[in-house]
Amino acid sequence: MADNVTFTINEKEVSVPARTLLVDAARMAGVEIPVFCSHPKLDPVGCCRMCLVEVDGPRGTAMMASCTMPVGDGMVVRTDTEQVRTVQEANLAFILLNHPLDCPICDKGGECPLQDQTMRFGPGISQLIEPKRLAKKHYDISDTIVLDQERCVLCWRCIRYLEEWEDKPQLGLFERGNETIVDIQEGRPVDAKTGGNIIDLCPVGALTNRVSRFAYRPWEIERTPSICMHCSVGCNVRLDSRTHQLRRIVGRENMQVNDQWICDKGRFAHAWVNDENRLAAPLVRKNGKLTAVQWSEALAYIAAKLTDIKEKFGADSIGAIGSGKISNESNYALQRFMRGVIGTNNIDHRDGGDVAALPTGLPALTEVMKPQYGPDPQVDTVLLFGVDPSEELPVLDLHLKRAVLRGGAKLIIAHPRKVELTRYDGPYLAYQPGGEPALLGRLQQAVENSGTSENGSAIGAAAKLLTESERTLIIYGPMAARGKDGPAVRDALEGLAQAAGEGARLAYVGLDGNAQGCRDMGVLPDQLPGQFPLDDDEARSRLEKLWGCTLSTFAGYTYKQMLDSQEMKALFVNGANPADESPDWAASLDNLDLLVVTDLLSTETAQKADVVLPALGWSESDGTYTNLERRVQRAPKAVTNPKSRAAPDWMMLMHLAKQMGVEWSFSDARSVTAEIATAVPAYSGLSWEALGDQGSQWDADAAPAEAEQGSTRGASADGPDNSEYPLSLVTGTVLYDGGTLFGLTEEMHGIAHGAKVTLNPADAAAIGVDAGSKVSVHSEQGSLELEAAVDAQVQTGTAWIPESLPGAPVGALLNGSNTQQVKVERR
Amino acid sequence: MITELMRQEIDEILARYPAGRQRSGILPALYVIQHEFGYCPVEAQDELAEILGIAPAEVGAVVGFYNMLHEEPKGEYHIEVCTNVPCMLRGGNQCLHNFESTLGIHHGEKTEDGQFALDHMECLGSCVTAPMAIVTDQKTGQIRYFEDLDSAEDVEKAIEVLKAGKGFSSLARWTPEADPNNEGEADVPYRNGGMEPRYLMARLNEPDSHKIEPYEADGGYSTARRVLNEIEPADMVEQIKASGIRGRGGAGFPTGIKWGFLPPGVGPRYMVVNADESEPGTFKDRIVMEYDPHQLIEGIILSCHAIESEKAFIYIRGEYYFAYVRMQDALAEAEAKGYLGDNIFGSGKSLDIVLHRGAGAYECGEETAQLTSLEGYRGQPRLKPPFPAVEGLYAKPTIVNNVESICNVTHVMRHGVDWYKEYGTERSPGMRIFCLSGNVKRPGLYELPHATPLSELVNKYGGGPEDENHPIKAIVPGGLSMKLLTPDQFDTPLDYESVAEAGSLLGSAGVIAIDDRTSMVEVARRTLGFYRDESCGKCTPCREGTAWLEKILIRIEEGQGLGKDVELMEFIADNIAGKSFCPFGEASVWGLQSNLLKFRSEFTSQIESTNPENVGPVLPIRPDYRPNTHEASGLRDSTFAPAGGNIVLHDDLVPGDD
Repeated sequence: MADNVTFTINEKEVSVPARTLLVDAARMAGVEIPVFCSHPKLDPVGCCRMCLVEVDGPRGTAMMASCTMPVGDGMVVRTDTEQVRTVQEANLAFILLNHPLDCPICDKGGECPLQDQTMRFGPGISQLIEPKRLAKKHYDISDTIVLDQERCVLCWRCIRYLEEWEDKPQLGLFERGNETIVDIQEGRPVDAKTGGNIIDLCPVGALTNRVSRFAYRPWEIERTPSICMHCSVGCNVRLDSRTHQLRRIVGRENMQVNDQWICDKGRFAHAWVNDENRLAAPLVRKNGKLTAVQWSEALAYIAAKLTDIKEKFGADSIGAIGSGKISNESNYALQRFMRGVIGTNNIDHRDGGDVAALPTGLPALTEVMKPQYGPDPQVDTVLLFGVDPSEELPVLDLHLKRAVLRGGAKLIIAHPRKVELTRYDGPYLAYQPGGEPALLGRLQQAVENSGTSENGSAIGAAAKLLTESERTLIIYGPMAARGKDGPAVRDALEGLAQAAGEGARLAYVGLDGNAQGCRDMGVLPDQLPGQFPLDDDEARSRLEKLWGCTLSTFAGYTYKQMLDSQEMKALFVNGANPADESPDWAASLDNLDLLVVTDLLSTETAQKADVVLPALGWSESDGTYTNLERRVQRAPKAVTNPKSRAAPDWMMLMHLAKQMGVEWSFSDARSVTAEIATAVPAYSGLSWEALGDQGSQWDADAAPAEAEQGSTRGASADGPDNSEYPLSLVTGTVLYDGGTLFGLTEEMHGIAHGAKVTLNPADAAAIGVDAGSKVSVHSEQGSLELEAAVDAQVQTGTAWIPESLPGAPVGALLNGSNTQQVKVERR
Repeated sequence: MITELMRQEIDEILARYPAGRQRSGILPALYVIQHEFGYCPVEAQDELAEILGIAPAEVGAVVGFYNMLHEEPKGEYHIEVCTNVPCMLRGGNQCLHNFESTLGIHHGEKTEDGQFALDHMECLGSCVTAPMAIVTDQKTGQIRYFEDLDSAEDVEKAIEVLKAGKGFSSLARWTPEADPNNEGEADVPYRNGGMEPRYLMARLNEPDSHKIEPYEADGGYSTARRVLNEIEPADMVEQIKASGIRGRGGAGFPTGIKWGFLPPGVGPRYMVVNADESEPGTFKDRIVMEYDPHQLIEGIILSCHAIESEKAFIYIRGEYYFAYVRMQDALAEAEAKGYLGDNIFGSGKSLDIVLHRGAGAYECGEETAQLTSLEGYRGQPRLKPPFPAVEGLYAKPTIVNNVESICNVTHVMRHGVDWYKEYGTERSPGMRIFCLSGNVKRPGLYELPHATPLSELVNKYGGGPEDENHPIKAIVPGGLSMKLLTPDQFDTPLDYESVAEAGSLLGSAGVIAIDDRTSMVEVARRTLGFYRDESCGKCTPCREGTAWLEKILIRIEEGQGLGKDVELMEFIADNIAGKSFCPFGEASVWGLQSNLLKFRSEFTSQIESTNPENVGPVLPIRPDYRPNTHEASGLRDSTFAPAGGNIVLHDDLVPGDD
């Protein structure tokens, strides 16, 4: 290869790509050079001086830092000489001078590079008899990260991560000389959403995990490669467990997905796994009270009721709600049960049939990551429409920042809020909920006339970027395409992508951890597994043969329709909580003949159920999940609670099917995966072995040609009546919400988004409220009592109340609708 | 917290820097805050971060780095007494004690009424008038040098002048002698002399030497006028190359060759004048800027013409307040005359000079650290390559030259290359300002040709040993970092090659004479104390090693030295030299290395006589630090308190096991 250079290391000749740093080149040659500051994912800084090696130069042999020096052709390097050893010993002596050596109580002990290198390269004895320097120990730099300044060796990794990846330099070096310390600015804790990665990066025990503090010793834990299910990025993680408890989560490298970074929710918010209130036994309502029973009793009860209802009211009076939070196997089994055993297409999930989605998700995460690595970037401009990666998909946010900062990618953001990524000065297109089609109309027109119709405005600037870009990626999320305007928004986005030119692509991303898999599994009222329309003969006959049944061709009810309808008699709810979303729905759930809820913890919906079945979480059962770029990934069973009688969903449903006279032949989760690979052509060949620990992306070309997903209807013409309710309600997901999966991690309560309504300063002033005022928010549907917050990221004329706030369900105002006008009053 | 008025001042400061580079103004902006509050309150730091569009921690990190920016209020008058080696040799420590007894406080403390705060300081560039102190007036931010404080009476007098509110009636240096009536009167430039005629220091003692009219009357600016109109930049670079001027900051790199490294066709180019004179024992740039600033400005105009730069920065040491004011006035004069700005001397050339005050950091004298500091960060050095000439300030081609080097440019262009080469040697041409300090009779600045023998400087110009009964036993020839010369080497000619041959370096030409009254252990300890404090903290060997060495030396001084300490110190020094990130770290132990080599017996005899039993120190027991995991973080108020206050730890029980 012309691009290679050849150098000599320890008398061995090695050829490596040009511009490789010496430290990396040595690794390729099988030579270990000890490092602290050097890290392959961070820019070299050369400050720890641990990696000095002998390099022959024009003026004789010199000790050079191998982490900052690119290999040159013909370079002669030695790492095994007396001089190198002496310098390594001396440098470790320097580093250990003021290190407290409190390894016995240090969480890093046992997996600490400083320990390892001291053993391998250190002097063996200490010559220090002077008093050690004292500094702050075990001091919280955020709710989740503890800093010990005495242990710190000042390698700058944490500082560089926050600077180079998060673009939030919240940690810095303070003081000077021998007093130099790493610290935060007083009163400004680290709040970067992926800040916890600095714990993984720290080569000593200076930064430790406050949530998992003292909960494990590295040599005692079992490590299970897994994935995170908090959002649809599907970051690869490692679950560390001991004595049936999940002790810690750390990032795991997958260069196709998350590099090696994970967000703080994924890292820290896992207390729910071991929570004592987890559902551990089946419950059946007896005399108005949910009572623990044997599985056989619960299943027999459900089977009898279902048979009865089906007989009296027909199969279509029974429905099921699956979830983007549960595995492919659970979702697949649920829809097979509904379609094959009950005989109805009443199967959907939240953000399922009510959202005008597209079938294949992102082309590939690497394309968003690529601009920083080059060459040949596949994406140069990203339009985010109704998606806020900072709150919804934090690691995608990280990739996008890097694409902008290192790859020169351009961002265009259309969102009801001026979200965090707007800080990169890309055009920001504000709209109010319901205003999506109008905005897209103007944008498309501007693209078509090269921006002349919107000269000087953000739309004009966006149109200019879209026109100039050769590789645009438009990403939209469920918030933009929910409800009756959804298809119009989707069509308008498709029109925009077409107008933007050949290289432009459009992608829909769901937000839940398995949002894509849920669609792929056919948890939709109008689509069979593999996202085939109900009337696709080939798909239907394939499934009928596989399941041994005849499939209904009538489209079922969507999530919203099932909950709105007064005709439903029985409902399965798995991993969803509709009672929290709407007072009307909560009431109609009460009127059902049978409500079966399968969940991890008791929810508002479970409290209304006739039967509650305890489910296993993602860390407790084998399963596969499909992320937002169609990557199918395994999450193997990592922990078991021996006291719990919870069972995997496919097993419950298999027994239930049997009670209703249908035999399924699953022996374990793997056999469910195997059946999915048969039922869904795109998944064929995706066995557990094939998925490995890095997953596998299914081929987007294998998706069926886009199905008719409801007719294209124009934007809603009737504008809202603004007189009484002057503010447009903006909702959406925030990372640190009040959901049970987050809320049970008490350490993080301090950073949770409180029960607040956020207003633009101008609106707040007009209404006469300040940050912290107690207010009530009213819509035509209901009201909520909240605290006011004031932030310019919220547009005038809107009020922002995220979903799932602790004790403040925005559903009370929405009542199942997608847009709502509200008014805010001081209490 | 930042008022409208302060905001205006800050905005004016920020406007001096190139568009989009407003972060560069962080130090001057922090001065504005400090003048208002007496220190830099965190709240104001955070507001400044907002103004600059950076994270609050980035401002905090900068405040923590620079010595002159305070995190808590100092007194109305902040007195800082130099105790570094050149002052120490002439009673700096006694001077500090005199301040302590006069004010009734220990150093590091503040008087009860808050009027005075006392600290000890590193070299302030006033070694010729040691012992001395600087005083900062909190209200105005002005700094004045109080020099020649030889006795307790002198110190009392200085305090009286300050108490009477007359300490700042002038900003020029104060000495007890020049102020018989306690009116705060100014003294004339301190002792300077040397060859006849002199060039670099020819005008220092003239009346109003700092004003533009006398400078022009002496032929000033005529060279620039001529060169800008008549000589092509490339030709001028060739002339400077031919003259062989070598950098006067310490490294001695040929100026013209440095200029030649600029990549053609890449712009804009910047000139940064290194006026951050901080090497202990060096005090030449200060006096040039205070008393002949136009000489420097003309040099900058010439140099910028040669390298085709339209923007120059003078990075002036923060403590040099009087020099800063003089430079500021001189720049205004030159600008008023049209010598700066657009179309200088009708040549069509433009030049804007920004005067930038540092804030107390030795490391900022290193060129890459200076650029980092000028960009608004902590003054830490950067990787080379890329060298500044290729990627310097704001990643643009940049030339960093010392004040004296630039002044030399003026004279070379005025008198010609051949004239310049008449002085000195082939490879060390020209004249040099030697800063003579320590135990000699007449410390001062002496302009002499390169290759003047060390003994001539010390004996003929310096008048020989301060006390005839105490011969000079060691001389540092080039600023405190450089290796020591012993009496057998006192005939060494002071040029780059000869001094290097003698095992040391000419460095900044700060010549410090040490007589036999001072223990070399003390010299070593004070030297390492300086580097421990002034290390930028970036790389391990310099940051940790210097502190370790100082601790060992303190222990030896306290009578707990061990037999193996000398070898241990040599081991440590060997593993700092050549292993650190930047040359400053490396130079931090040169002095010690030569000291241990040449004065080993002083160390061993001190150890043996004070600790004959060779007993090690008692190791202190570290305080109890078992963490209380049930305590709230206390970092933020209500919004940051962990819910419930308690952190529930997973215990080793299977759930349900009671």
